[in-house]
Amino acid sequence: MSQDWGGTVNTAIDNLTSALRSNIIPNQEYLLQGSVLDSAVEILLHRLRGLCDNVDSGPETFHDHEMCFSIRGNQTQPLLLRVRRALDFPDMPYQLRYIGQPEMEMGVGDKARPTIVRSSIDVACSCTVVEFLTEMGCRMDFEYISRGYMFRKGRMKILVSKIFKMSQGKPSDSGVEPISQSYLVELSILAPGGQDVIGEDMKAFAEQLKPLVQLEKIDYKRLPLSMAP
Amino acid sequence: MQREEKQLESSLESVVMKLNEIKSQLVGMLFKIDHDRDSLNWPTFLDNFALLSGQFSAIAKVLSHDKTPPIRNLTVLPLILNPEREEELLRLTEGRVPAFTHDLVPDYLRTKQEPDVEHKLIQLEHKAASLSYDAAQKQAATFNKVITHVLDIVSKAREEWESEAGARGGTGQTSSLTDTHSLVAAVGMGRGLKMIMPGPGAPVGPGMMVAPGGPGRPVGPGPGMPMGPGGQPMGMMGKNPSGIKTNIKAAAAIHPYSR
Repeated sequence: MSQDWGGTVNTAIDNLTSALRSNIIPNQEYLLQGSVLDSAVEILLHRLRGLCDNVDSGPETFHDHEMCFSIRGNQTQPLLLRVRRALDFPDMPYQLRYIGQPEMEMGVGDKARPTIVRSSIDVACSCTVVEFLTEMGCRMDFEYISRGYMFRKGRMKILVSKIFKMSQGKPSDSGVEPISQSYLVELSILAPGGQDVIGEDMKAFAEQLKPLVQLEKIDYKRLPLSMAP
Repeated sequence: MQREEKQLESSLESVVMKLNEIKSQLVGMLFKIDHDRDSLNWPTFLDNFALLSGQFSAIAKVLSHDKTPPIRNLTVLPLILNPEREEELLRLTEGRVPAFTHDLVPDYLRTKQEPDVEHKLIQLEHKAASLSYDAAQKQAATFNKVITHVLDIVSKAREEWESEAGARGGTGQTSSLTDTHSLVAAVGMGRGLKMIMPGPGAPVGPGMMVAPGGPGRPVGPGPGMPMGPGGQPMGMMGKNPSGIKTNIKAAAAIHPYSR
């Protein structure tokens, strides 16, 4: 019996490995980021409504709570895991997500690529995931609330969202404080690695939103540090 | 005399070259219309037109150049007509003219419009001539009126459009780089979001830590590490710098005393 189990696991792992090798798993996120002032968000939403696929149904709204956990293993870089849950749909499964460091190209500092490329793995899970991660030794680094709109165009996903601070760990609607006077705008595609055409497509789409929003690849590490919290 | 001939030859050569360019461009465009009809979009199509018009003006420039002898003064004289099919001619004309025959040559070598066009033109001229002076005047006036009306509409629309665009440009900024950076930093690294933890009573008890590498790390005791970033007020980029800082301190501490 135990042999049977072992056999099954092996095949599953083999399948996964071969899938990874043949590069068919969409585990790379191509990302461009920008922001739009609160005063101009209506214009942006209007334009996106015209440009994107879900024209008749209107944009999808979301209201999520995201927690970022970290665990420090042997590596110098801690492993970051994000848990996301929908506040407007409490019955929906939680989402656990791993986001890797942005891939850098040798020498030129990722200049050649039009977008950020980073690995990204999503999995749906139950609400006990927070407890599970804590038991594993993960520590919650920070959390926030993100509320906004989602648009689709082909395989592109466009998020326009307001980021709020949590007040004492409670997602009460009244007590939340926005991070800034702007909405965060993100344009992303999940795809297998090595598809450089995607970047070009995204760049072309980003062009269409100028000068309303400047969507760019932003390197976290090169951000100015002098910002007040 | 010889010099003129040479000039003629060279200018003809350049004209033929330019004509061939235009021809291949046209063929390419027709091919595109026939085969990539679905993927063809306006911008590329208009680009094609722009390219063609550029080539036309280039050829006009060559023709009007001082050094180009007036080609219109020259006559092409057919020496031999042949009703037989000629493979070489067929190849040269890309299958359009199979033989240099009596019924084709007058059409191909004439300096006037093509027969169809000429026919149509004559018809129109007849019609115009049969019109009375008054009627013609009236038609021209109506036509002018319509044209000015259309022009008015277009220029009015343009004015509106431009003022609107100007007003929109005047509203100024719609996005702020600082906001982008603070939002990205907050979502990506939690800058400005990290909780100020009240020391040992942190929500996630450090005692629970079973991280395998914790105690094995060279700097800092096991439980101290995970608390480090939380203990700092803002914990900016809480992970990396803390390790680096301690390293520097350790090195600085070693040096003075070991000497």
